[in-house]
Amino acid sequence: MEISDLLKPEAVVAHLKAGNKKQALQELSKYAAEITGVNERRIFETLLERERLGTTGVGNGIAIPHGKLPDFKRMYGVFARVDKPLDFEAIDEQPVDLIFLLLAPEGAGADHLKALARVSRLLRDPVMCEKLRGAESADGLYMLLVQNEAQAA
Amino acid sequence: MESIELANGVLLLGAVLVLVGILSSLVATRFGAPLLLIFLILGMLAGEDGPGGIKFNDYRLTYMIGSLALAVILFDGGLRTKISTLRGAVGPAISLATVGVLITAGLTGVAASYIFDLPPLEGFLIGAVVCSTDAAAVFFLMHAGGLQLRRRVGATLEMESATNDPVAVFLTVMVVQIIQAAPTSFVDQSLTIIETLTLQTVIGGLVGIFGGLAASSLLNRITLPGGLHPVLIIALTILLYALATVLHGSGFLAVYLAGLVLGNRPLRASASIITVNDAATWLSQIVMFMVLGLLVTPSRLLDFALPAGLIAVFLLLIGRPVAVWLCLSPFGFSWKEKTLASWVGLRGAVSIFLAAIPTLSGVSHAELYFDVAFVVVLVSLLVQGWTLTWAASKLDLALPRTGAPIHRSELDLPGQLALEMVGYPVRAESAIVNGAAVPPWARAAFVVRHQGILTPSQAGRLQANDYAYYLAPPDRVARLDQIFAPHAELLASNEPFFGEFTFKGTVTLREVAAFYDLNLEAGLMNRTITDLFAARFENKPEVGDHLRLGSAEIIAREVDDDRVLSAGLQLDVLSAPAVKPKRVGIWMRKILRLN
Repeated sequence: MEISDLLKPEAVVAHLKAGNKKQALQELSKYAAEITGVNERRIFETLLERERLGTTGVGNGIAIPHGKLPDFKRMYGVFARVDKPLDFEAIDEQPVDLIFLLLAPEGAGADHLKALARVSRLLRDPVMCEKLRGAESADGLYMLLVQNEAQAA
Repeated sequence: MESIELANGVLLLGAVLVLVGILSSLVATRFGAPLLLIFLILGMLAGEDGPGGIKFNDYRLTYMIGSLALAVILFDGGLRTKISTLRGAVGPAISLATVGVLITAGLTGVAASYIFDLPPLEGFLIGAVVCSTDAAAVFFLMHAGGLQLRRRVGATLEMESATNDPVAVFLTVMVVQIIQAAPTSFVDQSLTIIETLTLQTVIGGLVGIFGGLAASSLLNRITLPGGLHPVLIIALTILLYALATVLHGSGFLAVYLAGLVLGNRPLRASASIITVNDAATWLSQIVMFMVLGLLVTPSRLLDFALPAGLIAVFLLLIGRPVAVWLCLSPFGFSWKEKTLASWVGLRGAVSIFLAAIPTLSGVSHAELYFDVAFVVVLVSLLVQGWTLTWAASKLDLALPRTGAPIHRSELDLPGQLALEMVGYPVRAESAIVNGAAVPPWARAAFVVRHQGILTPSQAGRLQANDYAYYLAPPDRVARLDQIFAPHAELLASNEPFFGEFTFKGTVTLREVAAFYDLNLEAGLMNRTITDLFAARFENKPEVGDHLRLGSAEIIAREVDDDRVLSAGLQLDVLSAPAVKPKRVGIWMRKILRLN
């Protein structure tokens, strides 16, 4: 499972504008809908449903919202950097500025978990996060996210 | 004159032995060898077959020294055990200490009577002698040996080892009596068994609890000069042990409970008591194991080495694991926890000491029991003692120590008893820095940062190297410790201690399972996370308690009023190393192809 399998260059957002968690999820759903062709509303509701069980803000300014929908053919990722860090009800109560959205088809099973593991491991690296926070553009962000992989392999 | 010289000679010898024992600990820790084994071997070297050449065959004296030492060790074990850490461990521990001991004794007895071609009853006597997990060895490992286990496993094993001795002592004494007396009818025997066992437990329990209460109020009421408080406590320990035994109760149970009572009540001079007890426990360990080493005749052991070794192997690989599996399965322990619990079934001084009972009672081929017990203990200390830390970390159940343990500074606030002030150093690896929440009953007082004093609101989030001070009710303070304790798991890997994703306690397991394709038993599905923790931890869950959920683990993150408010989910796939499995896979395939 590689990041490049999940994330296309057009799914990287360098300056997400959102005032709160809900808006951020709404914006992300919009981008996801464009890429996947699935109804924006349904994506948004799936994500909200997951957040209702507990936050996906995993700490250190990072959130990994995720969900499963039957409509998808494969897994999709959207990466966004938020201009103004926002309250994501994260476990460490730190505002979140790096968000990796992961959507999986229903029944993806182990692949869904492997993808989550990959993303989570990537963003657990504090050096990586600092680089992402300093990157200039969406292209730069994409290069960082994918390049790290070449080194790790 | 001669007897004075003899006495001085004995003193000199004893002191030299103890000194050598203490110094050998330096060598032992260097090679990771189990220290108790070293003491035992030193005793053997000093004995009749070793260079020391001391002839020592006094079973009665050994029995006395052994009782004394064990009483001190067990009391100390109780004293250091905070009742809060026993939550969720009482049921499993009692089941292991009673049914588990019986199963182990029975199985080993059958094996022994087969191996030595003994009548069943005499085989069972061997089983009874070696069936109990040794408290001295287990406590030593947990407190001094640097092995910290996850709370529930650790607490269960500790409590089991402290409470199973009465059952083993009793089984041994009973079998010896039956062997000696002309056997009466089976029903009579069973009645006596139940009667004696109940009596042992009840009297031991009563003496322990009331003795502990009396000791604590005595200690808090009378003012003694200087350093007499700890001495008083040691004297009381021995008094309670002897009293319970004289009343036909279990002395070991009594002192353990008395220690438990004292350790969990506000106590005057508790710091000096703990320090002195620590020293007394070390001395007891050294003296007891050395005397046991002295007592044995190693050349005679060789005759029994092979069959006794077989019994040891049987006990380690079948007798103990079967009992652990049967006793712990109903309490929802994972296979890893059960494997470790089987392996921590260390045999020690108690077994050797119990083996002296047949000798003292003059049962036929008494030396057989003694020598078999000795070999079993040697094998157990050698094999299990040496591999335990390794096994615990392989099974992901160890919390290796991270330097100094958490140091809490306490300040009595005169004029009231409801609150005290406690301060903690904050470290990068403290749970508080990694997402744990401070319970609402603890009031933040101030934070010391860069030598300045800040109010909690000025300080904001705690950082490493801060000192955080709280006002908290004294009886709950111990629960703050875990929030500030350095969690080695954080250091050992970069996995977040509380799992990747956090769920509210009100969420049902069905919802979690559906999201992550966890395979759960149907019976669990409708339970909430809060309910599951309540059920598995006897309504007393604590921050950091772990439970297995299919292919994931769930970890209590926020607990208040004994209810889990939120818990982290750690998916196995998220904690699995990134590259390793592939390599193993390749090797496996290569090996398979070669075959």
